[in-house]
Amino acid sequence: MNAAIVRRTVSAVTARAHSYYALHTARRLLIYALLLLVSVFTIFPFVWMVSTSFKSAGTIFALPPQLIPDKLFQPGMFDNYTEVLYRYDFVRYTANSFFVSTMTGIGQVFTASLAGFAFARMRFRGRNALFAILLLTAFFPTEVTIIPEFLLGARVFHPILQPIGGWMNTFAPLIVPSFMVGSFGTFLMREFFSTIPLELEEAAIIDGASVFQIFRSVYLPLSLPSVTTLFLLSFINNWNELLRPVLYIRSRELYTVTLGLTTFKGEFESAWNLLLAGSVIAILPLLIIYVFAQRYIVQGIATTGLRG
Amino acid sequence: MRHYHPITPYLFIGPMIGGLLLFRIGPIFASFLMSFTNWNIRTNPTWIGLANYQELLSSDVFWLVLRNTFVFVLTYVPGAMILGLLMALLVNQKLRGIAFFRGLYFMPFITSMVAVALAWNWIFSTRYGVLNGILTTFFGVQRGPAWLSDTNLTLWVLIVVSIWKSAGFQMMVFLAGLQGIPQNIIEAARIDGANRLQMFRHIVLPLLSPVTFFVLIVSIIDAFKTFEVTYTMTQGGPRGSSSTLAYFIYQNAFVYQRMGYASSIAYVLVLLIAIVTIANFWVRRYWVAQQVN
Repeated sequence: MNAAIVRRTVSAVTARAHSYYALHTARRLLIYALLLLVSVFTIFPFVWMVSTSFKSAGTIFALPPQLIPDKLFQPGMFDNYTEVLYRYDFVRYTANSFFVSTMTGIGQVFTASLAGFAFARMRFRGRNALFAILLLTAFFPTEVTIIPEFLLGARVFHPILQPIGGWMNTFAPLIVPSFMVGSFGTFLMREFFSTIPLELEEAAIIDGASVFQIFRSVYLPLSLPSVTTLFLLSFINNWNELLRPVLYIRSRELYTVTLGLTTFKGEFESAWNLLLAGSVIAILPLLIIYVFAQRYIVQGIATTGLRG
Repeated sequence: MRHYHPITPYLFIGPMIGGLLLFRIGPIFASFLMSFTNWNIRTNPTWIGLANYQELLSSDVFWLVLRNTFVFVLTYVPGAMILGLLMALLVNQKLRGIAFFRGLYFMPFITSMVAVALAWNWIFSTRYGVLNGILTTFFGVQRGPAWLSDTNLTLWVLIVVSIWKSAGFQMMVFLAGLQGIPQNIIEAARIDGANRLQMFRHIVLPLLSPVTFFVLIVSIIDAFKTFEVTYTMTQGGPRGSSSTLAYFIYQNAFVYQRMGYASSIAYVLVLLIAIVTIANFWVRRYWVAQQVN
């Protein structure tokens, strides 16, 4: 009798466990199905971009459109890419974008960490007001400030800087503004510096270190993750920046990759295979950075809502 | 820390303050003054008082652009936020490979708008685009719509592309919020017999509300500022049907060279963003949970 009860209980328990498990598996499959569905929506444009970039001019207008490109694994598979890179100078555009983005990244780290340190750890008149103004001005869209910025560049900076190459049609207007201001960057660095225990710097003060030495040898090394985040976000923003290159750059040899792409589109309205090879080239460097530094990028963007 | 000269802090913030004055505060005031002038880039500005604003109010194009901007904001914001929240719920699971999907969904947000807009242009192409190809092949549509040249459709195409591009951002912020909800509250509700929907409605949503508020503010401002997608995909056309305020500013300033007029549009944009943002902070206490410490 006892054994019968035990057996019945055991079988009931295992039956429930099984159905629970089955439910669990079904739920899990459902979630994976949904995940894949959203993935299709997310990556379809990229897939189509890559596919088109491996097609020959003759097949891009095939009806119905073909997903598998005709040049895939054929001789001359990368013809579109070499043509865009060398004949249409995307090598140079990419290098220009690299230069501009790196410089702005360094600039952001430099100004934002200095300012962030002062806002976090120093006392001075007007500190809170200045910090508030810094954040408030970030709410003004670029469209508002860009017109005076452009005129200031064209009418003031350009004549003054004429002896050393001027301002318009140089990299300076792409680099200097984001080199100097960065509300979100300063915010990010200030938040981080505030979390560093004061005891660390007290030890340095006893050793007779100056403020700058403390900043450089105590605070900066500890803030490497934040600095990395800041650098990468600034790099990405400037890599993708379109408005300033459109306004300031005239010479082809100074084109950034985004400007190169828009110009390219105007000139070759229907050479979609080349246009999309160019797009892949514009996206790929960021994608590689993203794969390796996803943690920094995602965290930084999610906490500051960042642009600029 | 007291061992520094009173000037030292200003040296630390010096570069930032210089940039702030030259590239932010200066221009903010300058464009306000410019909005009262007639300024073609080659001539000197002349003061014309409120004439730019009067011209705006009597311009049909301006009202069309304003209408487009509101359509954009009122569809993009809920679209991107709801999609982002659903995606966040979907990827907020302990499953193998979930990090991969999160990374994938966030990808469009960091890629260059110019590059992906080109891909979308090609997808939406009327005769040879893959979208109309699919409509013809699988749904028997004889002639697919002219997505990028039909004045009734262009704005919607831009909205869809914008939502596609940014939903990963809204997702990531919501996800961070969801993961900040203490597990014991969820557990307690489960023990009390709440079902999933009840838990979502009465526990998750209220606890998430500060995050929702942040996402709302950022998304609205982004929607008002939309420029790159318009510039690359439609240039505001055809006949202004997809033009929004930010693009209209660019066009007047740098295509028609009307710096003063463009500045007045910019200030309309600032005013709209300010009103909507302040209104949001105003109604905040009615729906955003207060932080209890």
